[in-house]
Amino acid sequence: MGGKTVLLVMILAVPLAGAAVLLLLRKGDKNIISVASAAVLALTLFLLKNVFGGGPVELAIHLHGPYAPVLRADPISALFVVLAAFIWFAVSIYMPGYMEHEARPRSFGVWTLLTLTVVEGVFLAGDPVTMLLFFELMALTSYFWVIHRGYKKAVRSGNLYLFFSIAAGFLLTLGIVLIFVATGKLPEVGSVPATPSDPHMFGWGIALLVSGFAVKAGAVPLHIWLPHAHSAAPTPGSALLSGLLIKVGAYGLIRTAELAGCVREAGNGVTWLGPVLIAAGICSMLGGVAAALLQSDAKRLLAYHSISQMGYIIFGLGIGFYLESARDIAFTGAVFHIINHALFKAALFLGVGIIYIRTKETNLYRLGGLWRRFPVTAVLMLLAVLGITGAPGLNGYASKTLLHHAAGMAAGTGSPWLVWAERLFVLTGVGTAASFAKLYYLTFLGKPSDDTLIRNPGDDRVSGRMQPGMNAAMALLAVVMVGIGIAPEFFVNTAVIPAVGASDVDKAVADLTYLAFWSTGDVIGMVITLLIGVLVCWVGLRYGIFHRKFPVWLTPEGLVKLAVQGISRLWRAGTGKYTVLAENAHESGSAVKARLYSAIRKFDRSRSSTIGGLRLTGISADAAILFMILAILILWYTIIDPGLHDNWLPFIRPQ
Amino acid sequence: MLYLILALISGVAGGLLVLLTGRNRHSLSNFITLFFSASAAFFCWRVAFLVFAGERVRFGWKPGELQWSLDPDPLGAVFGLIASTLWLFAAVYSFGYMAGKERQRTYYAFFLLSLSVTVGVAFSGNLVTLYLFYELLTLTTYPLVIHDRTSGAVRAGSKYILYNLSGAGAILIAIITTHSCVGNPDFADGIVLAGCDSPVLGWLLVMFIIGFGVKAAIMPLHRWLPEAMAAPTPVSALLHAVAVVYSGVFGILRVVYSVFGYELIGQLSFSKVLPWLAAFTILAGVLIALWQDILKRRLAYQTVSHLSYILLGAFTLEPWGLAGALMHMISYPMMKMTLFFCAGIITEKTGETRISRMAGIGRILPGTMAAFAVAALGMVGMLPLNTFWGKYYLMKGSVAGGMWPLATVLAVSGLLNAACFIPVVVNAFRGVRSPDRTGGDALQGGEIRSGTDSGAFGDGNDGNVLSRILKDRRMALMFVPALLLVLMSIVTGLLPGIVWPGVQAVTDWFFQ
Repeated sequence: MGGKTVLLVMILAVPLAGAAVLLLLRKGDKNIISVASAAVLALTLFLLKNVFGGGPVELAIHLHGPYAPVLRADPISALFVVLAAFIWFAVSIYMPGYMEHEARPRSFGVWTLLTLTVVEGVFLAGDPVTMLLFFELMALTSYFWVIHRGYKKAVRSGNLYLFFSIAAGFLLTLGIVLIFVATGKLPEVGSVPATPSDPHMFGWGIALLVSGFAVKAGAVPLHIWLPHAHSAAPTPGSALLSGLLIKVGAYGLIRTAELAGCVREAGNGVTWLGPVLIAAGICSMLGGVAAALLQSDAKRLLAYHSISQMGYIIFGLGIGFYLESARDIAFTGAVFHIINHALFKAALFLGVGIIYIRTKETNLYRLGGLWRRFPVTAVLMLLAVLGITGAPGLNGYASKTLLHHAAGMAAGTGSPWLVWAERLFVLTGVGTAASFAKLYYLTFLGKPSDDTLIRNPGDDRVSGRMQPGMNAAMALLAVVMVGIGIAPEFFVNTAVIPAVGASDVDKAVADLTYLAFWSTGDVIGMVITLLIGVLVCWVGLRYGIFHRKFPVWLTPEGLVKLAVQGISRLWRAGTGKYTVLAENAHESGSAVKARLYSAIRKFDRSRSSTIGGLRLTGISADAAILFMILAILILWYTIIDPGLHDNWLPFIRPQ
Repeated sequence: MLYLILALISGVAGGLLVLLTGRNRHSLSNFITLFFSASAAFFCWRVAFLVFAGERVRFGWKPGELQWSLDPDPLGAVFGLIASTLWLFAAVYSFGYMAGKERQRTYYAFFLLSLSVTVGVAFSGNLVTLYLFYELLTLTTYPLVIHDRTSGAVRAGSKYILYNLSGAGAILIAIITTHSCVGNPDFADGIVLAGCDSPVLGWLLVMFIIGFGVKAAIMPLHRWLPEAMAAPTPVSALLHAVAVVYSGVFGILRVVYSVFGYELIGQLSFSKVLPWLAAFTILAGVLIALWQDILKRRLAYQTVSHLSYILLGAFTLEPWGLAGALMHMISYPMMKMTLFFCAGIITEKTGETRISRMAGIGRILPGTMAAFAVAALGMVGMLPLNTFWGKYYLMKGSVAGGMWPLATVLAVSGLLNAACFIPVVVNAFRGVRSPDRTGGDALQGGEIRSGTDSGAFGDGNDGNVLSRILKDRRMALMFVPALLLVLMSIVTGLLPGIVWPGVQAVTDWFFQ
């Protein structure tokens, strides 16, 4: 184990050790989580430097048998590892303040640290089985966030989350199995397997992997668990779930595409992957934003936006895998957006959490005018909102511009569905702006329905003094967001392009100097989008469109619910019939049995007997005697005098 | 050879000694049980290592026309290992469970006798010997099934005898037919039916499968198994989740790979149906389990389902499938016994047998329910636990054999298993226990902790769940085996290489 490979182990071991310490201390120390996260952050930064400078770091543990774990950090996984550690660090600063208002902060902290380990494990896994191992563990450890509050709805959301995660795990397992059988060996993460002997089966394997990771990424037909789980968890959990854990899905999609041969040379390998991802991305973008507009609960609104923003990422990946010409820009944009979304979504959740613990309210229509009571939070939230809507000068703008360029290049090919994809992309931008205008207006600016919310800002009898760490965590995220937003070229060139280019060994490092973030057209376009969004928001609030309940069959969730209801109704009808049948059969069967039984009983009255101290019940004495005779006969013919076989058992002809 | 004999007679000797002890000398009989179980396990390990190393360990006896032989090949050695090792755990659990119960002497005597017979099944070298021990197993376990002497237990016992003896009858016919064709050669000498091209081979296979299928609980021959749950919990855990049912599964593995051989059986049209039969049982078993409200019955139906995992692997006739079958055979009982052990603890401590009344029970028995939770995940087949590897190889085998729908059946069954048990666990920790119950000792002790703390390691009282459990001697005897099994399962899940040599020895043996 060389010096660098120790890093890999340390990154996994440090949070694990933190969790152990937290468990063992009698009064859990709140700072352990942030100390451990900071240590992991330092380690991962060091790893990133090593990997960007000196190539992949690998630790293969040679074990006999079916499983030989491999840990490996190549540039793209190193980038994800740092991202995870950073978001975790920010949230861990926030956590002590928040968890004062929740039950059992210590067990929450333990699960948080364990989840950090397994998330880093997913990113560092060098073979699919290790990845699957951490993937499954991640579902388990984060499940405890979702059910942490313990009320009925949280538990139900948790069950939903767990079942979807287990299903995703099985999809991945099946995918790995199919790919193994098709290629004859377990593929490495981040490599293109040798040409599969059975391309058809290989394609199915890739499809299963994609659907497994798409569940985790919350791509639209498979997203049902997401809003429930993300809104049920305590806020730090929501921030990490939305900010980071769904990115594991995106990471998995990138790895799967590499395996399918779509990354190095876009358009090759498994050809359907790009278009499918584009379609799934568009569906998620639009579906997520449409659902978000209708939400009245702040956390659910943010959760639906996670779906929508994951749509951007999946869309970008899809274009990158589909179009050779747009590969670099789309792929860079998608990875860049992963980072940005993690930053602002975490910040948004943290902000909503600050408001929640002071007002005990997440319903937007009951909040209002809170800028006076939470001036710092209001400013930080504004930054995050501007970030996610893509206002120029913040990080969201940069990545959305790249993605928009990619969408434009795709539309430039002239195929009508890609042209429509580009239009829908812009439409989603409008929707995002509208729904965040709504969030921000209703929370901070509008007139509150209940005056007590803003009165006596200094007197917080309800919830005690505010912890400075909470705003500091948001500020940390905001500083990075603004930094990236002001100098996107620098960030992209130092962090994103090396990571993205690294999965591209054959070609030279992607030449993205033509990336123009600040062309007037883009800026003006974005500003217009935002303004339209605000207008939509105003119209919506004015005329109450956001309160409209869509018929249940229009939402995918409703569709699934209806389908489940239908199936269960059929099932019940079927089982009802079956029960009647079975009961009839049973009755007639027992009638026959009773008759037989009484006949036998007449023959044999005694129900129990004692033979040599052993009391036999149930088998009557006669039956016991019969058994004994049988046993003696068997013994006789088999062991003592088997010579009679020829005469007595004509079947047996001794050799 | 000495090891072989010692492994076999350990149980019988122990059983006789237990019968000789005084009526109330419980600690003495416990000691005898532990000692002879351990010695059986020890000698089974010795034999197994000799066999894996390629040595032939054989003991033959030919008093008349029939050849009796003990001649374990790797498959037999693996089964012997599994059974004798798990017997130790069940023995320790029994010490806790049976404490203060009636008829302990009978219980331990037959418990040890069954050990001998199971080891005999595992080590039997030819069909006739296998048949002898297979029949004896039914008879020696019958007293354990009716141990409670309630009318339900007696009825269950009758069903048990009826099903198993009928199955054995089918096997007897099949064995006689086989004998008339090729005699009675040892399994280790090669495929039994190698030189036989009788037109009735297909029917012979049907007879064998029906016969062994009764103990292996292939649907619709499974009905005796849920009934047999009337037995004391350690018996349910060991015999009706592992030893007895495994002797059926083992018989089928023998028939498929030793009697017919995978090449010959692949030519029979009936063998194409078999994997689907197993797949049907997998799904139907777990679906019925979903309906059951009595925890032990749910576990029983789930056993039906999981036994067919092993059969499915065997019926794929692929090396990977067989490896999966063996992996599952090794890993599944650890988890299943844990589940049964926990069910037993719940019933002993709170008096509850119904799942619908177990809400909030995790607050009384946090450690037990945590072990139960891990084992439930094991039933699902998720990764940190060893059952994943069985499932993984079964999927590989069925895909490689060109039967990919079977792989999806396995995945779906995993989800159904999750639906079966995860709600139980969640309800146990999060549900609200209605206060009007009085039951086992824990409740009377007033141990229900109030407040919100309910995690596996709650905040207020610092994870001293374990130390609290260890204070209660009876509880400790029941809980520690479950805990050890869980730990073993995690370790072998992360390092499947530990059990791999055995699996590899078997697959190499049959697929050379």
